[in-house]
Amino acid sequence: MKERNRVLEIKDLKVNFHTYRGEVKALNGVNLNLYKREILGLVGESGCGKSVTALTVLGLLPENAYIEGGEILFRGEDLLKKSAGDIRLLRADELATVFQDPLTYLNPVLKIETQLVEVFMLDKKLLKQAVIAQKTHGKNVTFTDILSWKNDSVMESTNLKVSRGEVKKMAKDLCVDLLRLVKMPDAERILSQYPFELSGGMRQRAMIAMALARRPSLFIADEITTAVDVTIQAQILHLMRELRDKIDASTIMITHDLSVAAEIADRIAVMYGGNVVEVSSTVEIFRNPLHPYTKMLMKAIPNVKKPVKKLKSIPGTVPEMINPPSGCRFHPRCPFAMDKCKKERPKLLEAVEKHEVACYLIKG
Amino acid sequence: MEDLLIVKDLKTWFPIKSGIIQRTVGNVKAVDGISFTVRKGETFGLVGESGSGKTTAARSIMRLIEPTEGEIHFNGINVTIAKGGNLRKLRRRMQIIFQDPYASLDPRQTVNSMLVEAMKIHGVTKSRNESHERALKLLNKVGLSEEHLYRFPHEFSGGQRQRIAVARVLTLNPDFLILDEPTSFLDVSVQASVLNLLKDLQKDFDLTYLFISHNLAVVHHMSKRVAVMYLGRLMEVAERDAIYDSPKHPYTYHLMAAIPVPDPEFEKEEVLLTGDVPSPVDIPPGCRFHPRCPYATDKCKKEEPILEEKDEHWVACHYNIDFKSGEKKP
Amino acid sequence: MAKKTAEARTGEWAARWADIKYTFYLLRKNPLVMAGSIIAIFFVVLALLANFIVDPNLANPSGYPDFDGNYPFERKLVWNRDSIISWPGRIHLYEGPEQFLLGTDSWGRDLFKMIILALPVDMENAFIITVGAAAFGTLIGALAGYAGGVVDEAVLRITDIFLAFPALVLALVFAAMFGRTLSTLRYALLLVWWPPYVRLMRGQILGEKEKGYVEALRALGGGHIGILFRHILPNSIYPILVQATLDFGGVILTFSALMFLGFSPSPSLPELGNLAASGYEHIFEAPWLIVFPGLTMLIIALAFNLVGDGLRDVLDPKLRR
Repeated sequence: MKERNRVLEIKDLKVNFHTYRGEVKALNGVNLNLYKREILGLVGESGCGKSVTALTVLGLLPENAYIEGGEILFRGEDLLKKSAGDIRLLRADELATVFQDPLTYLNPVLKIETQLVEVFMLDKKLLKQAVIAQKTHGKNVTFTDILSWKNDSVMESTNLKVSRGEVKKMAKDLCVDLLRLVKMPDAERILSQYPFELSGGMRQRAMIAMALARRPSLFIADEITTAVDVTIQAQILHLMRELRDKIDASTIMITHDLSVAAEIADRIAVMYGGNVVEVSSTVEIFRNPLHPYTKMLMKAIPNVKKPVKKLKSIPGTVPEMINPPSGCRFHPRCPFAMDKCKKERPKLLEAVEKHEVACYLIKG
Repeated sequence: MEDLLIVKDLKTWFPIKSGIIQRTVGNVKAVDGISFTVRKGETFGLVGESGSGKTTAARSIMRLIEPTEGEIHFNGINVTIAKGGNLRKLRRRMQIIFQDPYASLDPRQTVNSMLVEAMKIHGVTKSRNESHERALKLLNKVGLSEEHLYRFPHEFSGGQRQRIAVARVLTLNPDFLILDEPTSFLDVSVQASVLNLLKDLQKDFDLTYLFISHNLAVVHHMSKRVAVMYLGRLMEVAERDAIYDSPKHPYTYHLMAAIPVPDPEFEKEEVLLTGDVPSPVDIPPGCRFHPRCPYATDKCKKEEPILEEKDEHWVACHYNIDFKSGEKKP
Repeated sequence: MAKKTAEARTGEWAARWADIKYTFYLLRKNPLVMAGSIIAIFFVVLALLANFIVDPNLANPSGYPDFDGNYPFERKLVWNRDSIISWPGRIHLYEGPEQFLLGTDSWGRDLFKMIILALPVDMENAFIITVGAAAFGTLIGALAGYAGGVVDEAVLRITDIFLAFPALVLALVFAAMFGRTLSTLRYALLLVWWPPYVRLMRGQILGEKEKGYVEALRALGGGHIGILFRHILPNSIYPILVQATLDFGGVILTFSALMFLGFSPSPSLPELGNLAASGYEHIFEAPWLIVFPGLTMLIIALAFNLVGDGLRDVLDPKLRR
């Protein structure tokens, strides 16, 4: 059953922001599912609400945000009903994020080692376990080993005393191992450096390492390839693909670049004006885009392998979220808009097998 | 087709000063000797990653940054030594559109004021009425209307601001336009309309473009010939299809292989470049690409290859590499 | 055809006016700022009308007792016995037919009228010094910031020299050299008041000149002077405006400090600080002589401070729009 494999379910999420100019209706009833071990590409242009969705899941919305309705079910529990403290624990343990600009998200006055070790030291029990296991079995414990411990709670003999020094050393060793896992060149040397001494690609890797250190089950990557060069972007995408097989996590890859999503995502959800307008597997979406917005978006991207004389642009502008269009928020720009579209927002329904669209033209 | 812009061995170095008396201890060699020509009517694409020097090159050509060495010729006039009034006259014919539409317009100026000011600086029109009419005409040309004339930049979106920048530049009726990452800050759909606009304007106004971007797909869409820049020098210059489909330089090859394709079923080989994009403070000896090049030899570490031409295809590499087989010949 | 130009001109002005209206709208939202603005405007208007409301000759102590304390009339310090404000436990030295709202000073002048007469003097001081210092400091600071290099260094060093000068010492020197008049005091204060504006403007310019639109204007062919005065300056001016409003109160207070230190050009000059200084001697018998001028200074300074704060919040380009 698909449902047992579902890690995250976002149901009809509505989020507003109070600004002095008025209420920004950022999310207008977002519906999204995330399954085990998949990479979901969340694609959309600026203002569509993809980052806000991620922040809501993480519980990191700013003060002027107001959750008007909806549910976010993570492993059956509604995250929106949890207290701030509980969410923080979840963030430490299960939900990991990497943001766009690692320079602003890494502490500039601490060495990489300090920051990474700090993350490991949050779970001393695990470290103690690792030290004990290492002593008992005589083999070095690697990070990949710990990854597999996630689902078992094996506590070896509790009589062995583990000193603080040993715990710290284990943390440090795991750091090196982790950095090697994210293909950080010269991992040992990097540990003793400060963020500003690293290049953009390396900082991004450091952030990914920090995110993975807690063995999350949900990994949110918010525009992580937007600020890097093409060759580094290729490296990071390659890394993500490799990691997907190694770590047992589900990933939401937020990007405005459909090509990046094409390269890395298993499924793609297209967002517009605070709604998910189309969801399906990557192959299916590209082969058979249903929503007018998706279709036009694909024609607007220059494709090196299929050059065109003129790109198709979408008439009009991205909707202004203080007074968004009524009904389907895309209707002012849609060449197929009908009366129905102006009145009520179309629901996200399954049009073809495993391919959902929110459009009256297709279904409804 | 005549050559409109000729760049010969352009170098722009920034001195690094240190110490109490601010001695020059080294140089950031942002642009370290590039030569190319842009022909009238064509779109010449310049690609490169961060640190390649392409933005510095653009500003050096426009004399917004003073070049350290080399020559720039525009339609026969020597741009590098032009001064005062001559430089201003050149500015009428060579213009630039910048990357960040949110920063390139004075936030306290209305659109009308911007357009009219440009015309006033160069005496393009003789009366206020003429300026006003010309401003309106060009605003319409870029897809905006009269009601936008008296608004401030913050009332516009990114795409609209770029259009305003284009209109402003067009009031001078230039021949040559440098487009420095004009769509990097814009959404995909907006980018499409701005690129279409640029293509239309090129036809209507007989413009020549130097299109600079790190987005290889966009450059591919716009350009006829493309140059690849790395750490301040050109690695390869050729017709667009030659560069994208049959590159000769290993850097170009890896660059093209890294482009994400919006087609999940497209079989792409995984060709990855190791290492990071270097900075121009510390340029490697010999061929500056050798630390990342999978085909590097001892010769590459010692001798810097020169940009050599064969059949309108310039390459700076000691070897002739067949990327499928990995064979290389000197 | 001329219609088009007229259209253009009105269109431009309409846009600017809409922008100004937006500023007022933002100002109106903050009740403290509104209160401050109303009080400030009230005092300014009062200052402008002062010499018409109250006979300025009343300030002239001739006909009043001379400095030796010989009173031609039987008038001394008085507090109103029958007034609505009662000052408990104070000596009533004189009983006469007149009623004084805030009492009289040691020359028998009506304190209330003196305060009103003092307003234009203080306002003028504040205005001259703030505007003068701001204008001069801004100009120098802008040139220094934009030019950079040697010019910048030179201006900075000269500014430092003036910054190091204590205002009071300079005032003393000036008074000694040029006599103890209102003008010399003003010049003295002007000379020490401009350096912070240089620093302020220079900082703004340094940041502003790196911005994209400056480069774009240079690429269009704009000349340095045009760019500096028509584009960079207007974008950098808002902290100057804020500082100037804050300084308004500051000048009045500094002036009063000077009066206390004996720089007063004449003991009978109607000026808030001077009134307080003269009344200082009688502080235990007639505290109202210090309280009311001091209170007036406080209110004026506070009002302008509030306006300054409000402006700071409203004009900051990052917080707008």
